[in-house]
Amino acid sequence: MDIIVCLLLFAGLFFFTGGAVGILRFPDFYSRLHPAGKLDTLGLLLALIGLALFNLHHFSLGTLLTSLKIILIAVFVFLASPTATHAIVDAGVRAGLAPWTKGEKRR
Amino acid sequence: MKIIGLIVAVLTGALLIYGTVDFPGWADPASPASTHLSPHFIEKTMEETSVPNIVTAVLADYRSYDTMFETTVIFSGGVACFILLRIFRRKEPSDRLYRHVLTGATIRVKEGGKIPLDSDDFERIDTLWTPHDLIIKTVCRLLIPFIQLFGLYVIAHGHHSPGGGFQGGVILGASIMLLAISQDLRTAVQRMREKVDALLSPTGVFIYAGTGALCLLLGLNFMDYSALASVLYVDPVTARSHGILIVEIGVGIAVMATIIWIYNNLSSAGKYDEGL
Repeated sequence: MDIIVCLLLFAGLFFFTGGAVGILRFPDFYSRLHPAGKLDTLGLLLALIGLALFNLHHFSLGTLLTSLKIILIAVFVFLASPTATHAIVDAGVRAGLAPWTKGEKRR
Repeated sequence: MKIIGLIVAVLTGALLIYGTVDFPGWADPASPASTHLSPHFIEKTMEETSVPNIVTAVLADYRSYDTMFETTVIFSGGVACFILLRIFRRKEPSDRLYRHVLTGATIRVKEGGKIPLDSDDFERIDTLWTPHDLIIKTVCRLLIPFIQLFGLYVIAHGHHSPGGGFQGGVILGASIMLLAISQDLRTAVQRMREKVDALLSPTGVFIYAGTGALCLLLGLNFMDYSALASVLYVDPVTARSHGILIVEIGVGIAVMATIIWIYNNLSSAGKYDEGL
């Protein structure tokens, strides 16, 4: 059980790290939102499932309820985070920000 | 005049800094707060108020005067925003924009012009209207009930977990703001009219102060919730727990209404016709 929890947490951490590196290294606004939206959601999902499993160590109704709440957080983040990213990209397009093309300088 | 103001501000600041000299050192274990208050709260909170969350007990019971006036401060913030920003203009803006729902054609109506307002074919739109995004609209509509449910949960579970009236009220207010952002301000104002905001905000403060005054009427000190035992038909310890809940509900109502009120005034620059 502990091994699975560790694996999930480290996988979540891996995706978070990827997201952070991506935000720093991608060339422009739109491509930076790509790791921010996708990797953070996936990393959070994995980490929260790991925590929910860890919480079930001493199995009882109380811990089951807490785990369910943690899973609920994951569900809502899974809905809200991509929508927020979508809204930001939408606003960028409406504001007239041109996407980066190959050969241009980083912005 | 500016110089006098500067001198007063500097003098007050200097006096305040001079006052800190008498304070006990940071984290001094011999200070009165650490020797008397903290141990009392940590050891006695459960048996005196039957509330597991010490922070909530200190905030809403032991130091309830403080929290009552915090709520009053929030209410005054809302009133100040209202007085500063609200513009009561009898006449409508000169040009109004309408959109034909089926075809998407936009009509600009000059002042004095008429449009079949009652028909469902036309909807009023903002000057800086952006096409409705189906994804954002749908997800917001999906999430808002859950956000509101979570806000109520946070208010009601202030005793047992982190949370309470302030946090829950902010979450409830934010759900209405999300509606205003994802649709438009008029939709949100239709759900929470300005009068409702302006009435709920003092109502929350009144619930708080009224609970305190009720304790006074029942023969104990102001804000001593154990006086509510005879009204609620429970023992005095449980009555303190219930008293905290009542007060938290008051705080939640005040914070929610005030936040929506401030948002509406700020985002429409006091005109209440077009939001962000």
